[in-house]
Amino acid sequence: MIARSSKSVERELLPTPDAEIMRHLAAGQLGALGELYDRYQAPLRSFLARATRDGHDVDDLLHAVFLAAAQSADRYDGRSSCRPWLIGIAAQLLRRRRQTFSRFVAMLSSFQATQQHSSDPRASLQSRTDVERALAQLSEPKRITVLMAEVEGLSCAEIADALAIPIGTVWTRLHAARRELRQALDAEGGSP
Amino acid sequence: MKAPPAHPSCTRLFEVEALRDGRLTGTEVTRFQSHVRSCSVCAQELSALQGLATALRSTVTQAEDELRVRRERTRLLAAFDASLMPSSKPSRRKLWFGALGGLAAALALALLLHPSRTVAPVAPAAPVAAAPDSVKVEASTATQWSRRVEASQETITIESGTLSIRVEHQHSQRRLLVLVPDGALEDIGTTFSVTVAAARTTHVEVQDGTVTLRLRDRPAITLLAGEAWSPAPAEATSGPSADAPPPDTRGHERTVRSVASARASSVPSSTPTLPPRSVALPDAAGDFRAAMAAFTRGDHALASSLFAAFLSQHPADSRSEDAAYLRVLTLQRAGDVSGMRKAASEYLERYPGGFRASEVKALSR
Repeated sequence: MIARSSKSVERELLPTPDAEIMRHLAAGQLGALGELYDRYQAPLRSFLARATRDGHDVDDLLHAVFLAAAQSADRYDGRSSCRPWLIGIAAQLLRRRRQTFSRFVAMLSSFQATQQHSSDPRASLQSRTDVERALAQLSEPKRITVLMAEVEGLSCAEIADALAIPIGTVWTRLHAARRELRQALDAEGGSP
Repeated sequence: MKAPPAHPSCTRLFEVEALRDGRLTGTEVTRFQSHVRSCSVCAQELSALQGLATALRSTVTQAEDELRVRRERTRLLAAFDASLMPSSKPSRRKLWFGALGGLAAALALALLLHPSRTVAPVAPAAPVAAAPDSVKVEASTATQWSRRVEASQETITIESGTLSIRVEHQHSQRRLLVLVPDGALEDIGTTFSVTVAAARTTHVEVQDGTVTLRLRDRPAITLLAGEAWSPAPAEATSGPSADAPPPDTRGHERTVRSVASARASSVPSSTPTLPPRSVALPDAAGDFRAAMAAFTRGDHALASSLFAAFLSQHPADSRSEDAAYLRVLTLQRAGDVSGMRKAASEYLERYPGGFRASEVKALSR
């Protein structure tokens, strides 16, 4: 009697597979989005915080990632873990944000040709650790690529797929990012 | 973690990075790993790259603030909920009908002679519209409705009359949205009917599956199999007259009745009691899932007990508001009116500005 009851409870405790959550989300179930958020908000928040220099708009980016995931849930490919897919969405959003920001800066520059770069983002990096400073000095494409590979554990093929770039570009960015990180850390005077 | 030497002493040094990036194939991996065991330069480079990855993973991001996470979660769910609700802006077609008013008969005649692509007046024989996939729609006499099929969504619009809809989701992954003049219904795998009169939804009944009813100016209502919804009688009889005072939202009483509620209400449990359990649930997620499983299979008495247990064991968990709301809902569905009111007042006391506060207020009256 007790054994049967235990098994019954254990069956209920098995985590809902991600693919099933995505099916429910595609059907518009609010609870599925809540469960997806509870499961992945922490790693995504960490990824976004590392990938952005200042980390000020992480909440808004996280919000946008989950909304985008909900809106494209019907196209989820059914893989067992949503995490690489969500990281890919986050990376795409970061790329779009950078492009928008670049256009905005170009527009401002056209109005003010003699614009002075008075705020160097590197100045605000003094309080960080050597590794954080080195990471922040990478260009965003390199930073996102190296984080996806070395921190999130995505394969180069997964990164290429998520960023919609050739796999050769992923290898190039990884190589350049590692080289720049190591040079920056050497210049700082040692290991992290 | 030094930068790689400018003049490497091993010609295979470049393969270290190739190994990490998965560029080496099966035999190449084996051979290079064998080489690393005997080459101190490559071994040192491999160690340096591993150290770099470890350093990157160890960078500390801002600590999670539980309140902020909870606030952001609520903001996300509210945004998603709003995105499911169609715009309340009246359509051009509705304005057109309103302006023509007395010419309705002539318009109907014109529609019969030149059937519109968007409004399909149904012949008196109540035909069954064969869906292009697995959605079957049966319309009562003189029902005015239309349907639009897109890649990921099918939309059925009903202006007046009654539609009985059956969806077999195992044959279609397309989302089904039923637009009514005052809101929308979302189907989640099911058989149900909807009646519209005088530009208002007057009845929704679910035979199988789940339907979420979203009417303007009201909280969303989820109807399970065997449940039906109708507006409060006074509201149902009042037409959309321009002279009429604005509807009193306090009168928007949710009148969900369960076909099985008579059976459930015969032995209501006023105080939730946790059923005997042989093992302790390991974490909050597990407790919540267990309660949700009971809720999903319609075991409302057990579900309310499990939600109550969840609230007492994990009061600071980010799902506790959901649990408090679902506890109210399960008690209501179990026919335990006094227990439901007590749970509702507890919810409102704890979450006065909660995501479901308006619905819970309506239930508690």
